Parts: sequence; C-alpha cells; structure tokens
Amino acid sequence: MNAAGGTISLLVGAVLMRLTVTGTYRRYVRGGMGPWLAAAAVAVIVIGIVTVARAIRSTPPIDPDRSHGAHVGAGWLLLAPISALLLVAPPTLGSFGVDRGATVDIRAGAAVFDPLPADAPARPMTLLEFGQRSFDRDGTSLRGASVLLTGFVAGTGEGSFPLARYQIACCAADATPVVIRIVGVAGDRPARDQWVTVTGTFAGIVDDVPELAATSVVEIPAPEDPYE
Amino acid sequence: MSGWIGKEVGANIAPTDDLRGPGTRRTTAGLAVVVLVVVAAAVLRPALQDLLDRPAIAHWATVFVAIAVQAMPFLVLGVTVSAVVAALVPAGFFPRMLPDRPALAVPVAAAAGAVLPGCECGSVPIAGRLVAQGAPPAAALAFLLSAPAINPVVLVATAVAFPGRPEMVVARFAASLLAANLVGLIWARRGRDELLDRARRRRSAVDGPPLAVLVATAQHDFLHAGGFLIVGAATAATLQTVVPRSVLDGVAGAGPLSVLAMAGLAVAMAICSEADAFVAASLTQFSLSARLAFLVVGPMVDVKLVALQAGTFGRRFATRFAPLTLVAAVASSALVGWWLL
Repeated sequence: MNAAGGTISLLVGAVLMRLTVTGTYRRYVRGGMGPWLAAAAVAVIVIGIVTVARAIRSTPPIDPDRSHGAHVGAGWLLLAPISALLLVAPPTLGSFGVDRGATVDIRAGAAVFDPLPADAPARPMTLLEFGQRSFDRDGTSLRGASVLLTGFVAGTGEGSFPLARYQIACCAADATPVVIRIVGVAGDRPARDQWVTVTGTFAGIVDDVPELAATSVVEIPAPEDPYE
Repeated sequence: MSGWIGKEVGANIAPTDDLRGPGTRRTTAGLAVVVLVVVAAAVLRPALQDLLDRPAIAHWATVFVAIAVQAMPFLVLGVTVSAVVAALVPAGFFPRMLPDRPALAVPVAAAAGAVLPGCECGSVPIAGRLVAQGAPPAAALAFLLSAPAINPVVLVATAVAFPGRPEMVVARFAASLLAANLVGLIWARRGRDELLDRARRRRSAVDGPPLAVLVATAQHDFLHAGGFLIVGAATAATLQTVVPRSVLDGVAGAGPLSVLAMAGLAVAMAICSEADAFVAASLTQFSLSARLAFLVVGPMVDVKLVALQAGTFGRRFATRFAPLTLVAAVASSALVGWWLL
C-alpha cells in the first residue's frame, strides 16, 4: 500500500509542478493560483518521497491506513487526471461551451467610459470592455477609434462570425463566455475554435450583440492566458 | 489524531488479520499497478489525442482537470493542517473540553468544528473517536456535521469561489451551524445512542512518533480525499457536458424546486467540502439560495459520506441519521437563504 500510495502522491506533485512551471495551468485556473499550486506540489512531493522511503526501508508502519485496509482505495482515481495531464493536456475551453450556457451579461457593469482618441494606433482591449463600451451611450466612446480584440471563433455566419472569450472566476468549471460579432469579413473566414486577433471599428449593436467591422483578421495560436 | 482513530475505525471495517496480510507482496503488486496505469496511458496516447479532437470530450476533460487542479492547493492545505493536529493534539483532549450536559455540549461541539480544518472524510473518524472516548454522542454528531462546513479552510475556499459575495460565506457558516445544532439537539432528545455501539465499543488508541504520524496521516488523507475529489470533478464535468442546459435551467428557475434539486445534486456528486464551493460557483443558472443548499447539504449528506458513516457507526445508524440530516440541512439553508441572500 505505502509504496503505491506514495508513488501516486509523488506523481501528483510532479505533474502539478510541471503544470506550474510550464504555465499550462492557466488553461485550467486563474493565473494568480500559480504560487499556491507550486506550494501544494512541493508538499505532496515531500509526503510522497517520505512515504516511499519508509516503505522501501520497510520501517514498521506507524500509519493510519489500516482504517481503509492495506489498499490505496479511492486514491487510485488520482491517476486519471495525472495520466491525462502527463500525456495530452486538455486544451483551453473552446466554442462547445459557448453554445450551451449563459453568456456574460455585458450590460451588468453599466460603466461610463471616456472617449478613445480617434487617430491612435489600434487599442487592445478585452471583449468585455468592448462590449461595455458598446452599450455605454450606444458606443459613443468607441466612435472613430480602432480597437484590437483577441478571442476564438465561436461559429459561422454570412460574411461574419461570432468572436468569444471566457471569463473565469476561479477555474474553467465556472467559465462564462463574452460573445460579440465580427462583420465585414472578406474572403475566407477562420475555422471554428481558431484563435484570432481582429482589428476594426465599432459597427453598432444588432440583436443585443455588439458588432465590430473588421479591417484585419489574423490567426494566432491560443494565448498563454486564454481567459479574461 | 485521526492517525490512531483511523486504526480503530479500520478494526471495524475489516478484520485485522486481513489487513496485516502479506505486506511485501501487496506493496509490490500496488506499485506494479501504478506503473502499469502510467505505461498503458502512454501507449494509448494517440487514441487519447483523437478523443480530445471531439469538442464535447475536450470540454469534459478541461473542466474535469480544472476542478481537480483548482482544488489541489486547498486539499493539500487541509490534509497538512489536519495531520499536524493528528500528530500533536493529545488523546482525550477534545472530550475533556466538552460540557457534560448535551444541551450545552451540542452547541459547544458544533462551534468547535470551526477550528478543525479538514473535509468530511476526516471528520467522520474524529467524531467516531469522540464517541469512543465517552463524549455525548449528540455532541460528537454535531461536530461531525459542522466541522467540514464551517472551518476556516472551507470558508476561505468559499470566499475565493464567490468573489465579491461575502454574504455567501456568512450564509454558509450560519446555515451549517444551524443544521448541525438542530440535528445534535434532536438526537440528544430522541436519538437512540445504542445505534452507535459500533463506535462506542472501540479500544483506546496506539500512538507513534509525531513526525511519522504526521506524514502517514497526510499521505492517507490526501489519497482518500483526493480520490473522492476526482469522483466529484468527473461527475461535475459530466453534468456540465452532457446534461442539456435547458433541463438545469428549467429546474433552476423554479424557486423552491431549485433548492431541492441542488440538495439532490450535492448528495449525488459527493464533492469534498474544500472544493464544493467552486462547483457551486460554476452552476450559475441557479439562484444563490439554491447554491447555498448545495453547500450546506454537501458536507453533511452525500453518497460517499453515508458510506463512511455506516462503516464508522453502523448501518442502522446511518439509515436514520442521513435522512434526518438532509431535512435539517435543507430547512436551514432555505431559512438562511431567504433571510440573507
């Protein structure tokens, strides 16, 4: 029991540490969790090493494990996410969830924005800010300004496509998407779930969805920090 | 503490002879299985990669891993602190602190749950130990119910999961404490303590060097709580992926029915109390009151917990205790939810 259990702990710790060091953890949880994940990883690795070492040296068991018999019990299940993460890290959330759930209520903030300078280079902003600016006095603060949005393609349309990005409070389990529409797309539209940066100008609100008239659509790999 | 408690619980779940079986062979076999699983996963890698090309499966996997990863720091913090308590708090300390009269002991024990970090998997054996050492059963049961729900680790996790909604933390604390007291006082008045014989018959405990007890307890608790966490993460991910959103939304909109639905969900999902707030936060289509029911019921009654209670106290006890607790928890959360949320 102890060698197997200790090895499972060691594996869990090692995988957590790898997730943290490579930054892959941001696909699953908020960026701020990094130090906590690293600390947890160290603790679990230490526990695992001590347990395995005691098992190898056949130290007489001073252990509480007889409570559940000489087996690892439910602990085996920890190998499931570990195997998944070791081999094929699940991707960031894609458009599948956008069609299924509630989307962020963009108007909830009801903020008032200062106008953007008109002749400045394209201004990067979150989809949420773009949406909130759109609903603030019919997009007055966006008039004439060029903005740069990053998100993934969440569907198809005639000369247009929905662009989405998730907001998360803690982890991907509570993700809720912000969805806007990109219009005036000439030529080939990017494939569903493709990440893109779109430059363009505010084009109004249709059916409660803010629209951006695109001047350029550039395909990019999924960003390190995929959630807003 | 749960170190020596664990041993005693073990004596009740399975015959000791069985547990002291051929240890070396078991160790080798267990290790071989770990290696086998990892190797098999490596061989199956292309198949796994293909699976992840399907949007529904990729969505499931991402949510599943996300819940597990998010809960890990909290789980580790919980098992570490509870292992320190196990190693350093002397036997008999908790029973000595309790008043003799049940009407006083129940609220004191329920409140004492606030200082014992851990999730429900840890509190069952501890409550069993309290009973074994002669504490009033009603008090031990109040502690059993309150500890996993109102301790600082769980409350901090709740605050993190519901950013900007401190009233959720207050409501969880109040409703859980209320339910624990209700059940304890009802048990003190009407409960049949002989149902707890399984816990009361236990021998006193054996101890070991503190550091060894600490590591062994942490290792044990981590594996068990971690395993149940995985079950919860998989269930939650499945619900989010396959249940048509319209069904949940339909129930979610239906006032009192939504509270019952979330209580049922908590029983079925059996999520560790250190992680359940994150799942509750993700079920955004439900009202805060319904999600409060999820947070209050979950640490007190769920499928895994009832099994643990049956193993520790006896099956006849569990079949009476679980329904009583469920009713008290739903009533408390409905009342507090109506008042605070």
